[in-house]
Amino acid sequence: MDKRDPFRHNVLTSGHRACSGCGEAMAARMVTDLIGPDAIYVNATGCLQVFTTHNQQSAWQAPWIHSVFANAAAVASGVEAALRAKGKETPVVVQAGDGGTFDIGLQCLSGMIERGHDVLFVCYDNEAYMNTGVQRSSSTPHAVRTTTSPPGRLSQGKHHLKKDVISIIAAHHLPYAATATVAYFPDLKAKVEKAMTIKGPRFLHILSPCPLGWEHDSALSVTVSRLAVETGLFPLVELEHGELTGVMRLAAQRPVEEYLRPQGRFKHLFGSKEGAVELRHLQALADARIRRYGLLSADTEWDTESVAQVQRHGRGGYVSAPQEMDDER
Amino acid sequence: MSASAKLAVAPGSSTAYQSGDWRSEQPLYRDKWPPCSQTCPAAEDIQAWLALASDQQWQAAWRTLTERNPFPATMGRICYHPCESGCNRKHLDSAVNIHGMERYLGDLAIAEGWQHKLLTEISQSQRIAVVGAGPAGLSCAFQLARRGYPVTIFDAQSTPGGTLSSGIPDYRLPKSVLQGEIDAILALGVQLKLNTRIGIEISADSLREDFDAVFLAVGALQPRTYPDDGYGSHSVMSGVDFLRRINAGESLSLPKHVAVIGGGNTAIDAARCARRLGAEVTVVCPQDPHGSHHHQQGTEMPASLREVVEAETEGVNFRYRAGVRRLVRSGEHLSGIEVARVDQVHDRHGHFNPLLFEGTEELVPAGLAVFAIGQEADWYGLEDLSQAGEKSGVWIGGDAAGKPRLAASAVGSGYQAAMSIIATLKDESFVSDTHKKAQIIFKQMQLHYYPKQPRREGEINQQRLTGFDEVNKGLVDGDAEHEAGRCLSCGVCFECDNCWHFCPDAAVIKKESGYEIDYDYCKGCGICAQECPCGHIDMKPVAE
Repeated sequence: MDKRDPFRHNVLTSGHRACSGCGEAMAARMVTDLIGPDAIYVNATGCLQVFTTHNQQSAWQAPWIHSVFANAAAVASGVEAALRAKGKETPVVVQAGDGGTFDIGLQCLSGMIERGHDVLFVCYDNEAYMNTGVQRSSSTPHAVRTTTSPPGRLSQGKHHLKKDVISIIAAHHLPYAATATVAYFPDLKAKVEKAMTIKGPRFLHILSPCPLGWEHDSALSVTVSRLAVETGLFPLVELEHGELTGVMRLAAQRPVEEYLRPQGRFKHLFGSKEGAVELRHLQALADARIRRYGLLSADTEWDTESVAQVQRHGRGGYVSAPQEMDDER
Repeated sequence: MSASAKLAVAPGSSTAYQSGDWRSEQPLYRDKWPPCSQTCPAAEDIQAWLALASDQQWQAAWRTLTERNPFPATMGRICYHPCESGCNRKHLDSAVNIHGMERYLGDLAIAEGWQHKLLTEISQSQRIAVVGAGPAGLSCAFQLARRGYPVTIFDAQSTPGGTLSSGIPDYRLPKSVLQGEIDAILALGVQLKLNTRIGIEISADSLREDFDAVFLAVGALQPRTYPDDGYGSHSVMSGVDFLRRINAGESLSLPKHVAVIGGGNTAIDAARCARRLGAEVTVVCPQDPHGSHHHQQGTEMPASLREVVEAETEGVNFRYRAGVRRLVRSGEHLSGIEVARVDQVHDRHGHFNPLLFEGTEELVPAGLAVFAIGQEADWYGLEDLSQAGEKSGVWIGGDAAGKPRLAASAVGSGYQAAMSIIATLKDESFVSDTHKKAQIIFKQMQLHYYPKQPRREGEINQQRLTGFDEVNKGLVDGDAEHEAGRCLSCGVCFECDNCWHFCPDAAVIKKESGYEIDYDYCKGCGICAQECPCGHIDMKPVAE
């Protein structure tokens, strides 16, 4: 075991092969350290599975299983049922990308929730099939360039809209579903911790920037994720039994252009009449999400300013404590 | 190790693979030198002592502060705090109340009776004489005494403190506060010989024989005078003499109207004192008011804006761009001063030489004219010493060295002189104390990570014109913690955990204090540097 860090377990440790600046590696390390090593992690096929288990070397310091692309939720259902049969309460967590959630894994996920399995399903959404070479998924936003939605004479990137997966999940009336992103660690921490106190199926949708596929500087993963929230394009919400129970208010709304500019996948929208139409379309989509969730009017202190704020000596860390280290000493 | 060698692996942990090989840039934790310290004439490590104060380690904060400045209670009151003009926080909301915090720590030290500590047990044999018990002399003596050197301070006056004592009115600096801080310096074993003027009571030559080094910090107490034969009478005085007599407790009875000539802080001090003694006061200032020339030096009045605002609040009148043409007398008495419009303040050689326009004369009624038009060092009896130079064991500092005339500059020059004296006595080369660390401006920081928090001030005494009671009250307990917590810690890590949370490669290791980058795994993505609120992390290209 790697125990270099005395203040967290590093359930997802170093040496993995994620690209430099990977938002998904960042998100998965945060989530798994918040849950800790005493859990069973089921992984769908995707970037996370590929880059953490390269060449027989595993970056996981917790029980971890991978089967195929579509069936992570079904595998987790079986793991959970087996544990229940043995009278054990070890948490079961699924990790999947947007392909394994929005597209290929959706049926198994729906079934898992419908059957009421006590499983946390975490979707790390990087908005395309990245490790196979950036193909569009049903999570890819409108007007994005991917290798299978190239902009040209007849199109300005992807024709279709990003699938509203959180609404689909919430329609199952499950106990807890929430969206989060890497830029707001205290928000992510609160949602993971809350999810772990609830029994039954739970769902976390975490926006995870991808410097390769989004074509932004590797240093900007957190900045871009913050802008996705501040523009209203990615609302941070909580839904319990289908009802909206929490939103992170926008202290101020930023124009979508600030989010789009640093990303090469939107580059084709700047400098043409057709692109300008799509820029207005994307702004309208952000405005609609802000209205729908009341992101500017919500009566809450939990806003993009207060949550981002830093403190001398930090704002709290991880439950995955280093007690095991003491045992070995 | 070649890439192909690493690919042939047995089942195991990914940590066997060193992803640090991918790196083309590497992050480095690097302390910067914040603008408050860059602008502090005493070069205090302000960020460091504010950090300790925000953790409520009050005594440790005071000790860090007094490393450079043994006068926090005094300077917290009278310094014009260039540190706050530099403070990066003004780009977020408003500057940290640094002077308020400095005063709070200084007052706490006096109240709690904290004593300075010697830095060494070793007593040095070489003796040092300091001439002048003002801020420069006391600061130098303090630094030398802490390092084991026997120091004797000589001062011509009957009280120590120099201009701090004779030039600063009680409403800005109560005498007990100054005395408290001087006592703490003397408690280190510094000898103080008052009423002893070198060149008169003791000859300069015998001083050089008896001591291994001499520090001349005689101040600038000799006023520049207006050519008039009525000086010293009850109708014409210099600002320096006027303030000295008030500070010595003399009860002056003033005429109904007083004119103060000059645009510096001495003029403002004199005007505010005269108000307190019941006079109608007009300040005749050759320059324009603050802000009229975008703070261009030389054309705006040099006095501190805060002092001017307080003087205006107290009912002092200002005549800007006005120069004295003559004093108007009726018999023995002064009836007023004739002023005229000043065109340019400096002549084409850059010398202060106001050009007055003929035909613009007006009479400013005054029974007393106080000229505060500059002051210089009085070298009488010290002529040879002042020319001796450092190679002959004589150093000059403070106002006498003609440096910018802020008390904090004097404190800073006392420190520099002490370090230079020690280096010379030890036969080492003295490296001037310019900080090697990189500077940092707000654009290198991520201000959105900091909460907006309004600045807090001490209360203001509303009954101020009835006497010489202190005008500005200090920060109260809760406010001091609040203000210390407002420090952005520009360029210096405050352990916010951002780099640790955000590293996708678990290559930032959190330690009991601070963090360490594990370069075996750091891929050099740059997120830690990008998201560091205070600009503590630099990205540097990796040398091939």
